[in-house]
Amino acid sequence: MSRFLSLLKTLLINSFGISAIRAKARKNKLEYLKVLGLGAAIAAGVSPTLWLYSKILIDGYDLLAPLEQQGAILLLGIVMVSTMIFFFGIFYVINLFYFARDAQNLLALPLSGWQVLGARFSVVIAYEYLTELPFLLPPLLIFGIKSGASLTYWLYALIGFLLIPLLPLSLATIPTVVIMRFANLGRRKDLFKILGGLMVIALAIGYQFLFQKSGINATDPAFLQNLLTDQYGLVNLISRVFPSTKYLGMALISADKVAGLINLLIFAALSLLAVALAWLVGDKLYFKGLVGSSETAARRKMLTSSDYKRLGKGSPALLSYCMKEIRLLFRVPSYFMNCVLTNLLVPVILIIPFLLQSHNETEAMPWEDLIAQPEGQTILMVVIVGAVIFLAGSNAITATSLSREGKEFFISKYIPLSYQQQLLAKLLSGYIFGTIGAVLLLIGAIVLMPLDITLIGMILAVSLVAIGPITEAGLLIDIFRPKLDWDNEQKAVKQNLNVVFSILFSILLGGAVLYIVVRFIHSPTLAATFMLCCFGLAAVIMYYLLMTRGIEQYRKLEG
Amino acid sequence: MIEIIGVSKSYNRGAVKAVDNVNLTIRDGEIFGFLGPNGAGKTTLIKMITGILNADEGTIKINGKDIRKNPIDAKMQFGFVPDDPNIFARLTGLEYLNFMADMYMVPPENRLDLIQTLLKRFEMGAAAGDLIQSYSHGMKQKIVVIGALLHNPPVWILDEPMTGLDPRSSFDLKEMMREHADAGKTVFFSTHVLDVAEKVCDRLAIINKGRVILFGSMQEIREHLRENQSLENLFLELTENE
Repeated sequence: MSRFLSLLKTLLINSFGISAIRAKARKNKLEYLKVLGLGAAIAAGVSPTLWLYSKILIDGYDLLAPLEQQGAILLLGIVMVSTMIFFFGIFYVINLFYFARDAQNLLALPLSGWQVLGARFSVVIAYEYLTELPFLLPPLLIFGIKSGASLTYWLYALIGFLLIPLLPLSLATIPTVVIMRFANLGRRKDLFKILGGLMVIALAIGYQFLFQKSGINATDPAFLQNLLTDQYGLVNLISRVFPSTKYLGMALISADKVAGLINLLIFAALSLLAVALAWLVGDKLYFKGLVGSSETAARRKMLTSSDYKRLGKGSPALLSYCMKEIRLLFRVPSYFMNCVLTNLLVPVILIIPFLLQSHNETEAMPWEDLIAQPEGQTILMVVIVGAVIFLAGSNAITATSLSREGKEFFISKYIPLSYQQQLLAKLLSGYIFGTIGAVLLLIGAIVLMPLDITLIGMILAVSLVAIGPITEAGLLIDIFRPKLDWDNEQKAVKQNLNVVFSILFSILLGGAVLYIVVRFIHSPTLAATFMLCCFGLAAVIMYYLLMTRGIEQYRKLEG
Repeated sequence: MIEIIGVSKSYNRGAVKAVDNVNLTIRDGEIFGFLGPNGAGKTTLIKMITGILNADEGTIKINGKDIRKNPIDAKMQFGFVPDDPNIFARLTGLEYLNFMADMYMVPPENRLDLIQTLLKRFEMGAAAGDLIQSYSHGMKQKIVVIGALLHNPPVWILDEPMTGLDPRSSFDLKEMMREHADAGKTVFFSTHVLDVAEKVCDRLAIINKGRVILFGSMQEIREHLRENQSLENLFLELTENE
């Protein structure tokens, strides 16, 4: 087997933990069932969302069919998936290519830059196929079935499915490899890595907004007319975000025509070209960005008495433990990127598009009428609290707090700090970051719309209580299935299903409470009171579970 | 004092017996060596003593405090040096020591003096402000040793402490173990280096396949040795025939 293929195979087996599952299954056949059960649980968890998504697509198809624009649902799926792959791709590339502890190990092997980068790139593609599945399969199936598509359509759909991640991931790889090449300079390498990662993300966001804004004027009647009457009007509009996706859309819509084939070939050529470019850049720069990136600056300077004095008088053990958690979250690049940054970045990403929108002084923002009424204020409260809950569920801080310790978990077992205190310290670190996310979201809302102080107070109070059960549930999940056996830090936070379970919990709890509010409660005060009671009760229940079942389980865990 | 009474631990639902009915008493004022080949069960037993693993059967007491029933009090009794010093790589040495001092509630009055004295003794003063990540293996070992001594523990438990230390540091560590024992405290350490065991220990136990197969003072063990037979030969003989 060629060295490239052999490397690819080994990396795939290692990344997906296939050998680990096999080894466990050898001892216990039920292990396979456990994996299947886990898959089924996740499928059941996301099925309501998938059902809703499919319903929207079917309605969209029926609505657009009379205009002969039903192909737009395909484009919507393709563009959405491409955008997600692009953003997730940046995180994957930074984490897997540079931050992973094992990234360096391959440097000693007689391999060239493109071989290592290409193999890692392919592993990420495999992950991206999993990301793609729930988002792209519904539109492909719905369009295919409803339009009675031919065999060629299904064949093109399969090829398209396989090709889609190539271009966005290449676009994520190229700037990352270039920037990381220059981030690998100087002494504070961890810091530069984080700054480099931030820069790539900033560039990506900038690029997206540039494309979204270019040449769209929704108030121009000619533009609107063209949008609705031109068969590819909507396709053209949607594909602006990722221009290459238009070719795949056209290929699928006109699969039975020669034009379809030509479009597919163009899409394939663009995708492969992008990959070639990314691998070429990788061949030149990847190793330069990696060699020595694990070196740590050391001053080896005698500490002065003022250095020692800064230690102060020490802190209570619980606080010291919590500070240790926070320090590591900031200092380990993959923890920072996945736990801290998402918390700070998501509010910014949500707010920027509104801030950038060309805003006419005389023209009111769409929500200004809405928030003038009590029902509108309630809806706004629901939206912000929903975002806070989702953010707390997805920041992965408590849901990976044991997992992040990995092989160091034994320290928590031998230090003389009670399990209760340790769990409280972990909870506190998660709560602090949840609160920061909530406050940032609220600040964003205040910047965008005139909110009165009572409403702000109510939203803040509900948010602060709502973070409670989410962080508690995350910790509880991680106690019951900690992922301690990992060889690089990003596996603890990135490839950890506990984060998915934590998100599912936040969607279920948040969804249930917020649904009741939207459906039955109009007064903001009543809504806030109801939410405070619900989330407060959930917080108490989860806390009780954590302090009883959680501690019991923590005691059983072995380092 | 450490009392280990009828302690067993098995893996894979009893298929692999890692530690099998071990009974040992390590007295105050002695250095006790725990010898055995790789995979004999040394680290498993040490992890049970320190509360990292739960024993399936038996009782472990440190200065009379049961590690299962009274874990916090028991843990306050000892300082532990694990076999792998790769811990908290992204804290500075000083931050790590301060963290350990907080955990063991080292009083603020003498905390600074203690840290400074120990750093000086191990020649780590210049590295304490740097990230542990930047340390060599031996330096990591030293910072962990300092962390384990900060609260002046009555019992000192070390898992393969000499690994990775240069001759000077190794000598210093042995000296410190001796001082500790001479002050009436207990030192319990595992090793597979017979030379170290022979020179440092007051008493030792040899463990193989989870069972203690020889136990006694160096004097008693020497009586076991036939004329001109080294401890090494005895060790090889004992662990081979098992």
